[in-house]
Amino acid sequence: MMPLIEASHLAKEYGTVKALEDISLAVNSGDFFAIIGPSGSGKSTLLRLLGLIEPPSSGKILFTGQNATSGSDDLQLRFRREIGMVFQDAVLLNTSVHENVAYPLKVRKKPQSEIERRVKKSLDAVKLSGFEKRNALELSGGEAQRVSLAQALVYDPKLLLLDEPTVNLDPRNATIIENTVSRLNQEQGTAVIMATHNMQQVQFLASEGAILRDGRLVERGRISELFDSPSTFLSIFGVIGNVFEGESEVGPDGLATIDIGAFRKIEATAGKRGKVTVLIRPEDIIVSKEALQSSARNQLRGKVVEISQSGQRVRMKVDVGRQFLVTMTRRSFDEMKLELGSLVFLAFKASSVNVV
Amino acid sequence: MGRRLLSILIVSVVLAGAVIVFQYWSYRARPVIILATTTSLYDSGLLDYLNPRFLETSNVEIQVLAKGSGESIEIAKRGDVDIVLVHSRTLEEEFIASGYGVHRVGVMYNDFIIIGPKADPAQVSGLRDAELAFSKIRETGRLRRSFFVSRADRSGTHLKELEIWQSLGLNPSSSIEPWYVEAGSGMGVALRMANEKQAYILTDRGTWISFKDQLSNLKILVEGDQVLLNPYAAIPVNPEKHYHRNFKAAVIFVKFLISDEGQRLIGDFKKGEERLFWPMARDFQMAAQLGFPDQAKEVSWYDMQPFQFRQAAVPVAAALCSRTAHSYVTARSEVEFDGAR
Amino acid sequence: MNPIVDGLVRAFWLLISFDPEVYSIVLLSLVVSGAAVLVGAATGIPFGAFIALRSFMGKRVLLSVLNTLTGLPPVVVGLLVYLVLSSSGPLGPLQLLYTPQAMVIAQLVMVFPIVASVTASSVSSVDRKLRLRALSLGADGSQLTLTMLREARTGVLTAMVLAFGAAISEVGAVMIVGGNIRWFTRTLTTAILLETELGRFGIALALGIILLTLSFVINVALTRLQWSGLRR
Repeated sequence: MMPLIEASHLAKEYGTVKALEDISLAVNSGDFFAIIGPSGSGKSTLLRLLGLIEPPSSGKILFTGQNATSGSDDLQLRFRREIGMVFQDAVLLNTSVHENVAYPLKVRKKPQSEIERRVKKSLDAVKLSGFEKRNALELSGGEAQRVSLAQALVYDPKLLLLDEPTVNLDPRNATIIENTVSRLNQEQGTAVIMATHNMQQVQFLASEGAILRDGRLVERGRISELFDSPSTFLSIFGVIGNVFEGESEVGPDGLATIDIGAFRKIEATAGKRGKVTVLIRPEDIIVSKEALQSSARNQLRGKVVEISQSGQRVRMKVDVGRQFLVTMTRRSFDEMKLELGSLVFLAFKASSVNVV
Repeated sequence: MGRRLLSILIVSVVLAGAVIVFQYWSYRARPVIILATTTSLYDSGLLDYLNPRFLETSNVEIQVLAKGSGESIEIAKRGDVDIVLVHSRTLEEEFIASGYGVHRVGVMYNDFIIIGPKADPAQVSGLRDAELAFSKIRETGRLRRSFFVSRADRSGTHLKELEIWQSLGLNPSSSIEPWYVEAGSGMGVALRMANEKQAYILTDRGTWISFKDQLSNLKILVEGDQVLLNPYAAIPVNPEKHYHRNFKAAVIFVKFLISDEGQRLIGDFKKGEERLFWPMARDFQMAAQLGFPDQAKEVSWYDMQPFQFRQAAVPVAAALCSRTAHSYVTARSEVEFDGAR
Repeated sequence: MNPIVDGLVRAFWLLISFDPEVYSIVLLSLVVSGAAVLVGAATGIPFGAFIALRSFMGKRVLLSVLNTLTGLPPVVVGLLVYLVLSSSGPLGPLQLLYTPQAMVIAQLVMVFPIVASVTASSVSSVDRKLRLRALSLGADGSQLTLTMLREARTGVLTAMVLAFGAAISEVGAVMIVGGNIRWFTRTLTTAILLETELGRFGIALALGIILLTLSFVINVALTRLQWSGLRR
């Protein structure tokens, strides 16, 4: 079967900065492809290239077998119109929700009756019926993101590209989006490429995936394979993240408490029981010199045991019973006057705890 | 694509329509000439009185620009107007000598008067000698007991005032003589300034008559001197220098001004009970005295021009483009132009 | 009588009595400034949008020049246009001097930089991400420009309000190129100038009040458009 979209040795440079290097992958219709990687690994850049809204510095992209990168403007436009995109932050037009969702259809010069029908269907799918007349800029973050998704779906794209679509959302909105996308992929065979660092999403939604690090593709394959070989997968994560084995118990409210040893328990939103592996990104951990009153469910006290600097960032290991890897900017480090042996507090949300 | 094209087409048509409507609205169905004249003549209202009569007889519309004598002649040299009606002999003669003005002819005259504070510190009241009055004003001015306001705008009035100073061998300037105020403005403004400062000022009688109700501190002090006589000349623009101007219509206008009917109308023009202008086109002796030695020759040249015409309306299509159409259609024909100055 | 009260009373009577000269003056003011703003918008808005959305050599210089031109004194514009339209000038043969058309041209020269530079700045301040978003939703080149313009619409409308205000209240340019000819090129501002010189302050004030009222009404109308555009 011919892949729907195929990238071949894609590279993208911004001046002297190499954002992407030698990326090759293929996605078929019906696939749900996850792109996994830490911030700055180039996920967003890759999606912009695949969405044909930015040209690569080198390499090519084939869409339905045809060369999209070197094609005519008309051809690129045609392909672009078969692809839907949802960015991390919703960017909506200063007008009503209805007009926002109708925009892609108006741009394609569809007749008014068809526009009405499709807009209604799209808003229903993201559970925003009744929001038609509200001004899009007055919506909450979650509602805006759902409108964004509705915009991308209203013209039945063959391929849907999502760039960390739920990262700033509350669980309810995140769930609606995940369900809508999943349904689309399963019922209509729409191919989906989603960049994320949320392991739950990868595990429950994706069928294929690739790992991106510093602009390069380091692993690729079916999700089950990737998860089944924890060494390749987790070791990469381990170098750049915090990985612990633990025992999980789920409470009546759905929150899990996981014992990771040394009498430390952390709370997670994922409802898995029993033996689990826990991953927490250093970027999700807030370091403070005093205890914070915050919405973060997890707060651990510990001592700085290792400091290493690279450029503008400082990485530290903090021993709270188990050793956590944390990171902050040079400036924050200087302002807080931290050094080996400093007493600090680590805080992170339950939703930042990835459980596999 | 079709819809976009259609909307562009509609917008263009609407815009074009708007332009046509605008052109038509500012369209003049008859020949138009522009007359540049002095502010004092314009403010007197004489032209608003004469122009409608002229329109009736000849179907030519006169559009009047009110600038000073100096500026009027400057823009005439540039070819922006068809004819000037001014009152400054030196400037007029220079205009003719430059070749841009032709067939200068005297039309009417009035007089200047010296106005001053009712208290009259320089004691010039009742004098019939303008030069003497000026020198007395200057004396008391230097003693800080009086002021003099000058137009200082190269208008006919200003130039006449300078003439009088020059005949005394003087050339006052406000930078060194504090009693001499250079207003740099029109007659009305200058008069009001004189009123505020209780100063002396030279003005034409016509403007005085119009404004005297506003000028409670001032009254007429000196009048009747020969040198204060103020003749007005009409000078069309030379068609050989500016071929696009409507020389023919300008000539017809002058013919009207110096005709018996025109001269009568000028003499009959009154403000309240007072007559503002005295016709002199056919009084060749008076004209010679007032600085028009060639009056007889010029008047007969005008009389010789063979038309009292009613020009046909200009075709709409032509006039919708611009005034150029008017001029090209009407300018050159039928005038026996002999290049005489 | 207090000249201000006198002016108010006269203004009222002038309008009620349908004095044809006053109506012709008002109409000319509206038509000349209106035409200048409309043409200025038709040319300045696409120009400003183009500058904002493309990058090209000399873009910054062009923007600085435009910004400087917005500060051109109207009387200087009048002088320059006069020299160009004068019979001795380059466009002399068109015989446009001392006509309403010349006044529109002079005001257009004044208005164009205002519209173009305000449009350019409001389009630039539209979120850059919007461009990528519109592209991803399938907009082609011209649709993209239109969308960015529509998002910048409050700024664009502001440009037009500013431009009209500047045009209808200036006197230098229309005086020099129009000549204040009775019934033909006399606008509210030039008429006020004349009446003031003649010392007829009552009439001058009356005309001034009419001008202010007109300005106010049009401003209110355009501002309402701005606000309704904000919440479509």
